[in-house]
Amino acid sequence: MITAVSSLWKVLNPVRLTGPLFDKELRVSSRKKRNYVLRFVYIGLLTAFVAIAWRSIVAGQVSTTFQKSRMALAGKTIVTTIVAFQFAATQVIAVIMLSTSISDEIYNKTLGLLMTTPINSFQIVMGKLSSKLLQLVLLLAISLPLLAIVRVFGGVPWAYVLSSLCITLTAVIFAGTLSLFYSINNRRAYVVIIKTSVTIGFFLILLPMIFGIAQMAPMTFVGARTPQMPSLPVFWAALSHVSPFFAMTYNSAMLMSPALPAGVMGFYWPLHCAIMLGLSVLLMTVCASVVRKVALRQATGHIEGGPKHMRRRRTGGHALETVQGQGTGGVIRRVSGWPVLWKDMRAPLIRGAEGRNSIIGLFITVFVMLITYGAWAKEGFLDEDFTHVSYTVLFVLMAMIFHIVLSAGSITSEKESRAWPILLATSMPDWRILLGKAVAVFRRCLIVWLLAAGHVVLFVLIGYIHPIAIVHLFMVVVWVAVFLTSAGLYFSARFRRTTWAVIATFGLAFVLWVVAPTLGGLIATVTQKEKIISTCMFANPVVQTGVIMSGASGRRNAETGLSELRYNSFGEHHDVGSITTVLAAAMLIYVFFGLLFARRAKCLFRRNVF
Amino acid sequence: MIKTQNLSKNYGDLTAVGNLNLTIEQGDIFGFIGPNGAGKTTTMRILVTLLEPTHGTAFINGLDVRKHGKKVRRLVGYMPDFMGVYDDLKVFEYLEFFAAAFSIERRKRKGIVEGVLELTDLQSKQSATVDSLSRGMQQRLGLARVLIHDPKVLILDEPASGLDPRARIEIRELLRELKRMGKTIMISSHILSELEEICDHIGIIEHGRMVFSGTLADIRPHLGIQSKVRVKVTANQDKAVELLSALPPIREVEVVDDYISVTFHEGKEGDGLIARSLVEAKFDLVSLQPEQLKLDDAFLQLTKGMVH
Repeated sequence: MITAVSSLWKVLNPVRLTGPLFDKELRVSSRKKRNYVLRFVYIGLLTAFVAIAWRSIVAGQVSTTFQKSRMALAGKTIVTTIVAFQFAATQVIAVIMLSTSISDEIYNKTLGLLMTTPINSFQIVMGKLSSKLLQLVLLLAISLPLLAIVRVFGGVPWAYVLSSLCITLTAVIFAGTLSLFYSINNRRAYVVIIKTSVTIGFFLILLPMIFGIAQMAPMTFVGARTPQMPSLPVFWAALSHVSPFFAMTYNSAMLMSPALPAGVMGFYWPLHCAIMLGLSVLLMTVCASVVRKVALRQATGHIEGGPKHMRRRRTGGHALETVQGQGTGGVIRRVSGWPVLWKDMRAPLIRGAEGRNSIIGLFITVFVMLITYGAWAKEGFLDEDFTHVSYTVLFVLMAMIFHIVLSAGSITSEKESRAWPILLATSMPDWRILLGKAVAVFRRCLIVWLLAAGHVVLFVLIGYIHPIAIVHLFMVVVWVAVFLTSAGLYFSARFRRTTWAVIATFGLAFVLWVVAPTLGGLIATVTQKEKIISTCMFANPVVQTGVIMSGASGRRNAETGLSELRYNSFGEHHDVGSITTVLAAAMLIYVFFGLLFARRAKCLFRRNVF
Repeated sequence: MIKTQNLSKNYGDLTAVGNLNLTIEQGDIFGFIGPNGAGKTTTMRILVTLLEPTHGTAFINGLDVRKHGKKVRRLVGYMPDFMGVYDDLKVFEYLEFFAAAFSIERRKRKGIVEGVLELTDLQSKQSATVDSLSRGMQQRLGLARVLIHDPKVLILDEPASGLDPRARIEIRELLRELKRMGKTIMISSHILSELEEICDHIGIIEHGRMVFSGTLADIRPHLGIQSKVRVKVTANQDKAVELLSALPPIREVEVVDDYISVTFHEGKEGDGLIARSLVEAKFDLVSLQPEQLKLDDAFLQLTKGMVH
């Protein structure tokens, strides 16, 4: 019996699954200050969100009886706030943390080394994944005492807490595994982050939305137009089971709106978690297989630097020659203009022969956009303001991500490839390197801005968007591009690793446009000064875009005279003149701070060179 | 051409380079030797303006590296101890990129790039991607890169590290060719015997301080090492030892394997005397060869292998 238990333990022992890599990763991470900072920041933000949720429900009510009567609602609001925060934050952290997990091993040439030990590729994958996931589980566990306390207020069943945690955890595992998968074939952290975000966004958010929009009447979460949720098709329920975002939305909606009959969608959260876990395990198996191939090639000396060589090998004869240093094919492109700009523009955003993948990606995007236009038109929403608010906000968000990721990686990627010192040893002035990098970032982000411009101009011509929106959006584009590019370049000059530069730039954006408004809201609620919250909120580019488009889009607004347009920003009403003034002021302030960041970035060029 | 005056670089409490004084004349090949962590790379990085010295000054062609960074960078070609690789760039593009970075006119670039490719024997690889080249070829490409703007001074940090013997010989030949072209070269290496063959002057640095600077010939008296010769005769080796021991300038005679090692008194030499004496005494003299002081030996004697 003891022998049987011992044998079973040997098989199921988690250490056997992860190997010594898990222990090594934990040791390394425990020595890094940034992990402690991360936990501190996470707790701080969580506390801020809980505080604002609490104040929004019970503050300002004089009667104690009334306050007590609102406790159950406060409990629900706080718990859903915590859950939503955890759901978003842990997935983002998982994607970033695992974005260089395998590529670092490949480029440090330790992956081949690992294959000379008894460690197998599955242990490598599991070791990497589980060590990072453990840190994320710690972050999730931080909120458990708070969730337990809030339950005292009533109205929050344990089943909801449990289901939400499980949905979050499985979503985090899937996002982390996907990031790890992309890190095998991509050196750059930003490429991994973009690919993971696009994959998750496309398969788990956009695709279900397209099906939903195309096949059903608008749901309650699309707009407040339909008070009663209609009966939903079976495929919608199925899609919700494979999308953690819809699963979480539905799960929280069930808690907050008891009027919704349980199980109306046929949603069963354990099934959703099982599906997500199954997908993750499948992906892990693929990762293990690919990692093994890459590691063996490195161990046997067939590849030195990484998967790029591996891909060349796969392509056949000529490619094999290139690996061995014999290949001399291909077109040589002459350097023209600023060398830094030329070089950065030469690297494709998405790898593929002669930019083929980028063109395919562009066609797919335009095709998807046209489908969504058709779906909105079918439902009669194409001439509504919220439709165009959604599109422009989506474009601005995408462009923001592109600016952050590309600018934050532009200098660190040179440091990682050890080309930065030799570039600085040339006679090129630092300002020209900086400007070249900035212009290259903008040029590479231009595609997103052009898609946004295409949408706006198209609907201005059709008559669903007022032309003044072009001017206002241009102001937003200018400051977003200048500010985020400069901030990204600053952090790129400041840090050695792309991952941390990207995290820092995202962190700055998050603090400025999420944390600050949240704290502003808290202060506004306490001090009863609504001006604070509107000011803080209007500093956010997404909010600015929303305000501009809600005031100037939709058939009704587009047909209104310029002087009669009205913009509503958190209780403050503006006419065209005043909104233009406010936007111009915001643009100037952000551009000023952007230039300060750029100047500081230039000063940091010759520090942290090595 | 290169001069440092009390050059120091501190990292907190650690002194990487301390009061380093160094002079390299135009057209010289200067070998910069020292154990790991001695301060060679730090000194080179200061000279190429990538690091600021904590104290002291360094001059390239009379220009202070602190004050005239851009002008100094035009004068210097720097090859670090690692190969900075740009993904996806081909050899020709890589070189042209740096030509553009040094503001060389576009119409001149093609010819210049082709010239350095020919000099480094990389013409056949001009369409290959940089990261697909072998280590030896990458080093040659690194040399091609530093030559792209025709600098007067080359600062090469361990250019032969990790190369096989053939590639080392190729690099050595290339350096000799560059010397013939009038370049001033500062080269660091752990392969000391290589520097011995190509360097005019050497500098041995330890713990951030220069412990020796001069020619190879200067090292011998510096270390108090006497001249030695190896003598080989066909027969009667014992009698030859007796004869040589009686000669005035000779301090010590000993038999090592199949030859006789003769040590002169300090400051004395007498190769001709030995040859004449042996021939007159009817010995069949097979060879008479000065015993070279190897750079490795000098290195070992001058340094204690201390690292930071």
